[in-house]
Amino acid sequence: MNGGIAMSVFDNEQCIAQIEVAGTADSLESIRDFVRRYAVQWGFSEEQAGLIALATDEACSNIIRHTYKNDCSKNVSLAIQVKNGQFNILIADSGAEFNPLSVPSPDMEQYFKMFRSGGLGIYIMRKVMDAISYTAASASTMRNTLILSKKLPS
Amino acid sequence: MSMTTKLTIEHQKDTSIDKLYLHGYLDMHTAPQLESSLDNLIKTGRHNILVNFRGLDYISSAGLGVFMVFIEDVRLNGGDIKLTEMKPKIFTVFDLLGFPMLFDISENEIDALAKFAP
Repeated sequence: MNGGIAMSVFDNEQCIAQIEVAGTADSLESIRDFVRRYAVQWGFSEEQAGLIALATDEACSNIIRHTYKNDCSKNVSLAIQVKNGQFNILIADSGAEFNPLSVPSPDMEQYFKMFRSGGLGIYIMRKVMDAISYTAASASTMRNTLILSKKLPS
Repeated sequence: MSMTTKLTIEHQKDTSIDKLYLHGYLDMHTAPQLESSLDNLIKTGRHNILVNFRGLDYISSAGLGVFMVFIEDVRLNGGDIKLTEMKPKIFTVFDLLGFPMLFDISENEIDALAKFAP
């Protein structure tokens, strides 16, 4: 791997593909297309690939809106990693630490009674993916990394 | 990236029901567009709204959230936002979060229209 290019955030992670996009809402379409394409390539049905792309969209939407507050000078990096029978999407941001896993899933019955809106993205990620992990930035990584995992279809 | 419109909203106005036809995709980028369409209708006292998803290819929670913003207000005014003609992949997202508990979702437009109070 060429360590000199800007997209080298995931160089040590044995990723099969990666992209870096501006941290703005109009990047979501290319994020979804990227994830969907590789999910299909690795054997997921169109429907499953669509849901994996949805979970990734939700993760990135949260970063763009809450972590970056639509600051378009910031980037989001994504990579696809296939490892130990898992299809992993690695998502790195350079904003303040925010662990989405610290947010409890809503009780939807209460949610509808209160006519709330928002806060459903993390719930979707949990429903669609098999596992989610979060690692806050350290002095060496400089990036927070969220990993969404789905078991490869047999 | 091309400059094509990501979400198109076609509005048909009947005497008592406003119909919105969605084309394209509804995510955090395009949700404000639908929010403003619904807001404009409701501000002018229109509370019977049918949203037809026939041409919609994608929805995320940002899109679902738009309906949550208005549903209470519309129902308090004796109206409803009824949803119809979703592709299976769109219905899957509504269903994933239990939205059929709160929203009236019909398979076809004729059924949806018949459910509005006369």
